[in-house]
Amino acid sequence: METVTVERQSGAARRSGGGVAEARSLPICIEHLRVVYKAANRKAAEKIAVNDLSLSVEEGEVFGFLGPNGAGKTTTMNVLLGFVQPTSGKAEIYGKSVRDEASRAELGYLPELTYYYKFLTGRELLRFYAKLFELPRAEAEKRIAQALKLVEMEQAADKPIRSYSKGMQQRVGLAQALINDPKLLILDEPTSGLDPLGRMKVRQIIQRLKDEGKTVFFSSHELGEVETVCDRVGILFNGQLKESGSVSSLLEAYQCNLERIFLKVIGFDEDGNPLSGKEVA
Amino acid sequence: MKKSFAIAEVVVKELFRRKDFYVLFIITVVLSVLMAGVNVFNEPSVARYVKELCLLLIWVSSLVIAITTAARQLPVEKEQRTLFPLLAKPVRRSQVLIGKFLGCWLACGGTLVCFYVFFGILSMSREGTWPVLNYFQALLLHWVMLGIVTAFTILGSVMFSAVSANITITFALVAGILFLGRHLNKIALQLGEPLQAVVYGIYYLIPHLELFDVRDLIIHNWPLIPWGVWLGALVYGAFFTALFVWLGCVRFKKMLVH
Amino acid sequence: MKTALITVLLLVCCFGAGTMVEPRLGALELYRRHEGSPIKVLLGESRRLFAGQSFAKADAYFHSGMYPSIFDNTGGKKASAMTDAARGEKGGDHVERFLGEPRDIIDRFSRSFFPSEHKHLGEEKHEEHFPGDGHDHQEHEHGHEHGEEHEHGEEHEHGEEHYEEAGGKDVREILPWLQLTAELDPNRIENYVVGSFWLRNKLGKVAEAEQFLRSGLKNNPNSYEMLFELGRIHDENKKDVTRARNLFEAALARWRDQNSKKEEPDNFALQQIAMHLANLEIKEGNIQKGIALLEIVKKVSPAPAAVQQRIDELRAGKETGSAVNGSAEPVRSAH
Repeated sequence: METVTVERQSGAARRSGGGVAEARSLPICIEHLRVVYKAANRKAAEKIAVNDLSLSVEEGEVFGFLGPNGAGKTTTMNVLLGFVQPTSGKAEIYGKSVRDEASRAELGYLPELTYYYKFLTGRELLRFYAKLFELPRAEAEKRIAQALKLVEMEQAADKPIRSYSKGMQQRVGLAQALINDPKLLILDEPTSGLDPLGRMKVRQIIQRLKDEGKTVFFSSHELGEVETVCDRVGILFNGQLKESGSVSSLLEAYQCNLERIFLKVIGFDEDGNPLSGKEVA
Repeated sequence: MKKSFAIAEVVVKELFRRKDFYVLFIITVVLSVLMAGVNVFNEPSVARYVKELCLLLIWVSSLVIAITTAARQLPVEKEQRTLFPLLAKPVRRSQVLIGKFLGCWLACGGTLVCFYVFFGILSMSREGTWPVLNYFQALLLHWVMLGIVTAFTILGSVMFSAVSANITITFALVAGILFLGRHLNKIALQLGEPLQAVVYGIYYLIPHLELFDVRDLIIHNWPLIPWGVWLGALVYGAFFTALFVWLGCVRFKKMLVH
Repeated sequence: MKTALITVLLLVCCFGAGTMVEPRLGALELYRRHEGSPIKVLLGESRRLFAGQSFAKADAYFHSGMYPSIFDNTGGKKASAMTDAARGEKGGDHVERFLGEPRDIIDRFSRSFFPSEHKHLGEEKHEEHFPGDGHDHQEHEHGHEHGEEHEHGEEHEHGEEHYEEAGGKDVREILPWLQLTAELDPNRIENYVVGSFWLRNKLGKVAEAEQFLRSGLKNNPNSYEMLFELGRIHDENKKDVTRARNLFEAALARWRDQNSKKEEPDNFALQQIAMHLANLEIKEGNIQKGIALLEIVKKVSPAPAAVQQRIDELRAGKETGSAVNGSAEPVRSAH
């Protein structure tokens, strides 16, 4: 309870017990991250996408990164992936700065919108990404076979990606995220656009990865899934981390489900009406 | 370099699966064969005009392939969002750009070999000779020229947001240099200062693509270019290619991809 | 099934309408104007703009690709060896030295990548050398020794380049461009004259040369140049004296019609026509007629003394049928 209170009050403190030396080996370590987008029009105001964000993710845990649209989740992920340079602050993956491409060697990434080279087959795509990880050919073929089996894409592996459905593209996306047997997976809304069966399969894969000891950092709007799969969650709003902690401790503290906690944190009641200042957590 | 070659391999696959090359090759073959079938005063062994037309088609086709392929690489990757899973891998942006350049350039080399083999067969059927060394010199010079154009186009693709703008500007510049590059010094002499200095400056700064256009030597069966001079042209072309690729890397590193 | 039937019905209607309309349209002047070659249909009269380019291309081919651009200074010369040879003239070749010395390092370097040496198709270049200049004083490939007069009384100065006939048939390469020029501008007389000359003289294609000239005459019935060339074909190749005479006389008549009132008449053409007709008449034994024609030649010839000498010889009965040196045959060595 106390730990949760600390995190609720500051919204930016590292999980208790974490020292500097330990932080360096954390899968994800973000400190006072700030990302400001300059407006194209000089008269328009700057947009602060991420505002003094600090969080860390422990080895082997599944961390749910939550927040409404425009909260800064994708920007934070883009910083971790090296797509966007932070205005200030620091972000590291396994102790390596995100500006160093070597930080992505142990990383697997599944984007929200899964578009891949339409003229390649699924197998050719995986081979290409395997080469980028400099995997030896034999090892690469073995990993490709394993990944295709895991995502149940063996039959369609040699067909061009342009012939794939949305679900198949999502699955081949998962396969490419796993090709290097990463220690850390960053998944951006992995169940977006999938039917219930597809969502269930993705949940199963995430659970399996967790059982293998991998760290998963994913964003999602499916709070029911998050509640089921995640060890810890963080709720982002207006670029700031408003709440973070283990799922169980948050549920106990708020005495309601994760969806209501989410709404309360971002300033709405269960009916979607804005809360007054005193009622906001 | 392995990562760049992996990216290059994907570019080559894209070019040959998009079928642009096949269309242009078939057009070249059909037009050349048609022209070769024209009756010229019942003289069957007139060869040079066929060679000229064939080489013109080869040059136009190769420039179309080089410029359109190179101009599309990074903007289309960004638009179709295939760039993000790529950059999420342990690969530097400069490696991505170099890989794109290598892929376009190697693909151009492959298409040139096909075109020049056809040209060789066509001219041999007319003239009965096959000056392999001359064709080899011409092919390599052509390939290096396409390297400069490809690198320049890729630089344009990280500077201009619209693909069409990049293609138009590159075509205009390439055509301008090919037609006028050799004559800029003569034009400069006819101008007064300060225009003369400006034109002379442009004359010395631009990559002289017309150096690599040795079609007239091939058409009219001139002897080989001295090998030292030929190598010098290749080095000259390599320098400009490296310059444009380096500028592209510098620009791409700072570019917002999201 | 329904779609297929409708499609077939529509196709049948279109075909039927076409067969009904086409003969009626064919009778219309407007429709007939659009008949002809693809170039005529596509470009219309604007095709004539490209004829000059096409003819220049033939000249460029004659010079094996070495050709001045619009940016090059040709010193005001416009004559081309390709045209001059056909006309039997000896003028400066505008292609000869337009390049000049390299202006800068790039210019110097670039000379290896495009044709930069003056030469003509079907001819080899020779250079005269001074005695004692270190070169072997051997006979040239075509049997000329130093100082020896060439066939037509020309003597080349020491150190001067000149071109000797190599008997090569490479000159055929200019033919497609001459054929295209005729297609683009059927009224360009020079094109037919040049084309027929090279077809006849270098390639031995007399029938093709005649056909080319006749197609040109269809579009240019009053062209004395083409009538003269036809006359030469019948005289020199077909040995048909009667027809040759008729053609030369027709050419002469056309020349008079077109040039008599001009301030600068085409005296060179008159000289050529009259000389050939004179030689023909003299060969046939019509000496008086020949002399009368030589009198015409004398008025316009650059060497009237030589012509007068010929006339005197004819009158004295010494000469029977040989041509006057240097004024009737085309110049073979172009400078």
